[in-house]
Amino acid sequence: MKNIIKTTLLTSLLILANLASSQEINWKSLSDERYIVNANAGFSHGIVWGAGFGYQLKTKMPLILQAEYSFPSGKHLIDDFKSKVGAQARLFESGNIQVSAKIHGNFRRYENSLVRLVNFGSEMSAAAGYYRPKWFLAGEFGFDKAIVTNFRHSAHYRDMFPGVQDGWFEPSTGGNFNYGLMAGYSFKTSDLYLKMGKVLSQDFKSKPLIPVYFQLGYNVRINKGN
Amino acid sequence: MKYKLIFMATAMLLTIAFSGCTKERKINTPGNLVPKTVDQDPSLPSITINGAKLHAEAFGSPDSPLLIIVHGGPGSDYRYLLNCKAFANEGYRVVFFDQRGAGLSQRFPASAYNSVDVAINDLKAVIAHYRTSPDQKVFILGHSWGAMLASAFVNSNPAAVQGLILGEPGGLIWKDVVDYLSRSNKFSFFSEDLNDAIYFEQFLSAKEDEHEILDYKKQLWSSAEDGSSIGNEGPVPFWRSGSVTLSAYFETAEREKPDWTTNLHKFTTKVLFIYSQNNKAYGLEHAKKVSSAYPDVQLFQTNDAGHDMLTFPRGWNNTYPVMLDYLNTLK
Repeated sequence: MKNIIKTTLLTSLLILANLASSQEINWKSLSDERYIVNANAGFSHGIVWGAGFGYQLKTKMPLILQAEYSFPSGKHLIDDFKSKVGAQARLFESGNIQVSAKIHGNFRRYENSLVRLVNFGSEMSAAAGYYRPKWFLAGEFGFDKAIVTNFRHSAHYRDMFPGVQDGWFEPSTGGNFNYGLMAGYSFKTSDLYLKMGKVLSQDFKSKPLIPVYFQLGYNVRINKGN
Repeated sequence: MKYKLIFMATAMLLTIAFSGCTKERKINTPGNLVPKTVDQDPSLPSITINGAKLHAEAFGSPDSPLLIIVHGGPGSDYRYLLNCKAFANEGYRVVFFDQRGAGLSQRFPASAYNSVDVAINDLKAVIAHYRTSPDQKVFILGHSWGAMLASAFVNSNPAAVQGLILGEPGGLIWKDVVDYLSRSNKFSFFSEDLNDAIYFEQFLSAKEDEHEILDYKKQLWSSAEDGSSIGNEGPVPFWRSGSVTLSAYFETAEREKPDWTTNLHKFTTKVLFIYSQNNKAYGLEHAKKVSSAYPDVQLFQTNDAGHDMLTFPRGWNNTYPVMLDYLNTLK
């Protein structure tokens, strides 16, 4: 019963959450620190600024619960944003070769002069690479699914098209694959990393207008556990 | 082990939670996010030419001189040019039509737009559809891309038109188009315009034949500019964008690098060439360069207006009398 409650709580958190692109971890430099604070900036469907927080559970398999908020540049800073909650775990280790996976729930918002979109989604990704205590190099592959989206159109759009439908739209309204490389440098209790790659729509043919992403991120690991 | 189980269970629960449930409302259902096209809604006015059903309507006496209104884009529609109905009260048969794949006209795959000749042939067929006699005069009013298309048509058929009004065509040779677009489409990477244009792409994706989604996305993308960059007074009215036709014609033009000026010296009738005061990307210099392909040009600057000078009250009120005078001298 206790496990069911825990699982339900964790699921609820994830459903309230967002896309898994940041807080890249150097698993080799991670020891028993409990908290990871992250700041990042880059390009992902816009020039984006983000901050995140991670909490490492006391487990044999390294497992970090994560939360992040990011928003794009622009005049209106709160009309567009993305938040996410999820977990990242190292699934496999053999020497310096490590494989990790993330699963996050997304909650995001977009607004312009025609519509306000609110979306719940999920993102899953996996990374495999060569990890040393001071640096790492890995490849990643992920999928970001916009599962259910709420549309609320502006008065202007209604003037143009009075019959437009508002409300929740499903099944999935979109999805994008991403694939790329990431590299990081670790020093003291910090990680500095850079990741970049390409974005491809779920039909494997079409692409976003600017089909690339990159991110520069910084982690601080704090509060060693006992 | 306990947390590993939680992690796996969470993954499964998320998959289950997000994979099914509730009543479906799909973004690609016609009429949900964008209006239906004429082939989906028979109540809309339409004509059928060259195997395509086009959203079209005409005002004025059928035997009056024809004034064909050619909208911009590619992929816009004629809603923003409806002020031109006023010519019907002055003795003209005013014809509006949404181009193939644009506005409320029928959609086609990208392969249907393998040459700008498709649009030229459609324009020719629209004129033929509405023309009631061989001696009925034909005038064309083209705006932006519509002015480029009108010029391409005249370049192919110099004797088919008895008068021509052009409003800020980007260019009549590809290099001029590219030069103009490089000035008119400037934006900052840190601006709200960039977010408005691309941030939604994580919410919506479409296959290449899902026109409802593609057109909706194109509309969101278009709305990123409030018109101020090209001097407009506000957002331009629309029915529905044509995403596939826009990208297909751009790809075609980039490949073919068209020159629509080769026969324009044969069109000796005076051309009324309009440019706006507030579209800083255009201006007198560009207007002179683009219009120089025509032997006889009347350049007119619409004061107090931007690129869509025929849409908003100030631009329309300043331009309409000049256009009417021009047409009446040729009528």
